[in-house]
Amino acid sequence: MTTANDALHAPSHDHAHEEHHVSFVQRWFYATNHKDIGTLYLWFAFSMFITGGIMALCIRAELFQPGLQFWQPDFFNQLTTLHGVIMVFGAIMPAFTGLANWMLPLMIGAPDMAFARMNNWSFWLLPPAAALLMISFFVPGGAAAGGWTLYPPLSIQAGMGMDLAIFAIHLLGLSSIMGSINIVTTVLNIRAPGMTMLKMPLFGWTMLITAYLLIAVAPVLAGAVTMLLTDRHFDTHFFKAVGGGDPVLFQHIFWFFGHPEVYIMALPAFGIVSQIIPTFARKPLFGYVSMVYATCSIAILSFMVWGHHMFAVGMPASTQLFFMFLTMLIAVPTGVKVFNWIATMWQGSMTFETPMLFSIGFVCLFTVGGFSGLILAIAPVDTQMQDTYYVVAHFHYVLVAGALFSLFGATYYWLPKWTGYMYHEGRGQFHFWWSMIWFNVTFFPMHFLGLAGMPRRIPDYNMQFTDFNAMATVGAFCFGLGQIFFLFNVIHTIRGGVGKAPASPWEGANTLEWEVASPAPHHTWETPPSLEIVEKGLKAQGLLGDHHE
Amino acid sequence: MQSTLQQANRKLAIRMMVIACMMFGFGYVMVPFYDAFCQVLGIDRANSDFANTSAAVIRVEFDTNVDDGLAATLEALDPVLAAKPGGLLKARFRLVNKSDQPLKVRAVPSYAPARSAGLLQKLECFCFDALTLAPNEQRDVTVVLLVANELPAELGAATLSYTLHPELAPS
Ligand code: HEM
Ligand SMILES: [Cu+2]
Repeated sequence: MTTANDALHAPSHDHAHEEHHVSFVQRWFYATNHKDIGTLYLWFAFSMFITGGIMALCIRAELFQPGLQFWQPDFFNQLTTLHGVIMVFGAIMPAFTGLANWMLPLMIGAPDMAFARMNNWSFWLLPPAAALLMISFFVPGGAAAGGWTLYPPLSIQAGMGMDLAIFAIHLLGLSSIMGSINIVTTVLNIRAPGMTMLKMPLFGWTMLITAYLLIAVAPVLAGAVTMLLTDRHFDTHFFKAVGGGDPVLFQHIFWFFGHPEVYIMALPAFGIVSQIIPTFARKPLFGYVSMVYATCSIAILSFMVWGHHMFAVGMPASTQLFFMFLTMLIAVPTGVKVFNWIATMWQGSMTFETPMLFSIGFVCLFTVGGFSGLILAIAPVDTQMQDTYYVVAHFHYVLVAGALFSLFGATYYWLPKWTGYMYHEGRGQFHFWWSMIWFNVTFFPMHFLGLAGMPRRIPDYNMQFTDFNAMATVGAFCFGLGQIFFLFNVIHTIRGGVGKAPASPWEGANTLEWEVASPAPHHTWETPPSLEIVEKGLKAQGLLGDHHE
Repeated sequence: MQSTLQQANRKLAIRMMVIACMMFGFGYVMVPFYDAFCQVLGIDRANSDFANTSAAVIRVEFDTNVDDGLAATLEALDPVLAAKPGGLLKARFRLVNKSDQPLKVRAVPSYAPARSAGLLQKLECFCFDALTLAPNEQRDVTVVLLVANELPAELGAATLSYTLHPELAPS
């Protein structure tokens, strides 16, 4: 152990000296180092999370009471639209890409991502895209207001804010495709010797499959918005009914992208908790191979279920049944995963540090979101619930308690590796419980609102919905406050936290990233980890030895 | 050693870029595919008629018949139209004289249900006059209907039927 670490430290010190000659601009604007780029991605994602979060609070403020208090309906629609677009494309997806950039090379023993310069490009496409979206609030007609799904005819009739949104989506898509090509190439081609595909940390697997999904569907979204653009300005009639086009066609193309997109935001989260839970349960991940297969089958099935977003549009009963049953089929591999996480914890020597709390929170709340998804999958039920707050509750259980909580967990888990310091455990746990409580206060009542028939994307509502809406708004503001606390937590850690972190601060962690010093030196694994180190980790993860495969 | 890895990386990246481009194309391929799919399965798609009559509440169907022994055909070019209250409807028909003789014909209209006659008023109709067709002539003719401002809710569809008769010379 010590020899391995010494070997690693020696070259990294040399490089650390080189870094002193690099100016701020050179280091960050011309960044090609996977850790720097990962850091950029993560800060960008956080700032977008705050931006989208402020929009969410503006929405919730309006919905505190019935009637119109703050915004005109049109601006309210702009807020919901940009909140959705920014959270999905600006916060969650870049955060996962940032994590992949930071951690994948460390975890699989690679010196860097495969294409360092392209990596720089894929990051620097993001800020202009975000700028376009923000500028769109100030153009005539305001920002896009047709919902994040951009359905025509609204999106065809909208003002130039929609054009800006379309360009932003082009940039964001291009960025995701380049980032994904990088991830796939890195994972497939530059793993450490001895680390075969089925011995790779699960986070590597889920990022690999997510990247494949993105390469397959991001261009489809790009095509859909390009058709919107030409319908708007160049007299094509893909979706314009006046010229013989069909707006429903847009929904088919959009959701062919959109449903896999949901898994693009869920699979990396699965990977993260599959790293964290074994660490704090001090047991190898239960059913590693079945986890891999479950991830693959979820990805494949996700291409075949898009129609469940269109039950209310009108489709033949046989088609409804097809989409309904296939959608329910996804519950099987998802169930396998939840079972495996619980089995991993079963009889483990569990401790409840912040990353573990967020992971357990993830498993519980994601399951709630999964069950409400199953209910929405029932075609005759969905025709009642479509576009009510039940749907809003469902997807926030998946996206906030799923994607976002896993990201918080990941941040606390790897913060010592990133900064070299330990975060304040009490504050981390406070952040968890605070978020957990107010998240549920915000979103659980939305199930009831939806069941009672409150429509989404509407700034006013019937008196009978007042109490639950007031409750949700209070919850949202408290939840938002907690995230400021998270920011202070992170800054406190960067500034030294509660002291220096050892290379491996977690007792049960056995993956390769814990073999390098904390903070991870600027250059790592320039000589790949020796077979000995790799196999030691694999053995501890139960991936090598008697009871494997 | 290093360069073989770089080559392998580049090859993989190019392959993925090709996949990405193909998926971009796939989005566009869905357009004709969707057309064909709906046509084969007979799924009613939105079309421009629906767009022009956004408040359509009545389907008007056009039916055509020809007297026995008359060497002519009459065909409705717009067999079904959607009508909105207070709007105008224009339907086209194709008349063909299949004989080598000039032919004088008259189209006689009838409505089903009968009360729709009061709701769909002819402003202009090829049935107002007798028509003389040259030998083998093909002619497109029209009817323009004014739709009543208020349509009874239970009236979902109406049929306007034309039967072509030979015009007898006045005696
Ligand atoms: C955590 C605090 C959050 C709050 C309080 C919040 C609140 C809301 C509200 C009130 C709406 C509008 C619902 C409607 O009227 O239809 C909404 C929509 C949405 N939210 Fe969030 N949200 C939060 C976080 C997130 C996150 C992290 C995501 C991640 C992807 C997200 C994704 C979406 C999407 C996709 C929509 C749909 C937008 C649309 O209707 O076009 N939200 N959210
Ligand atoms: Cu879906």
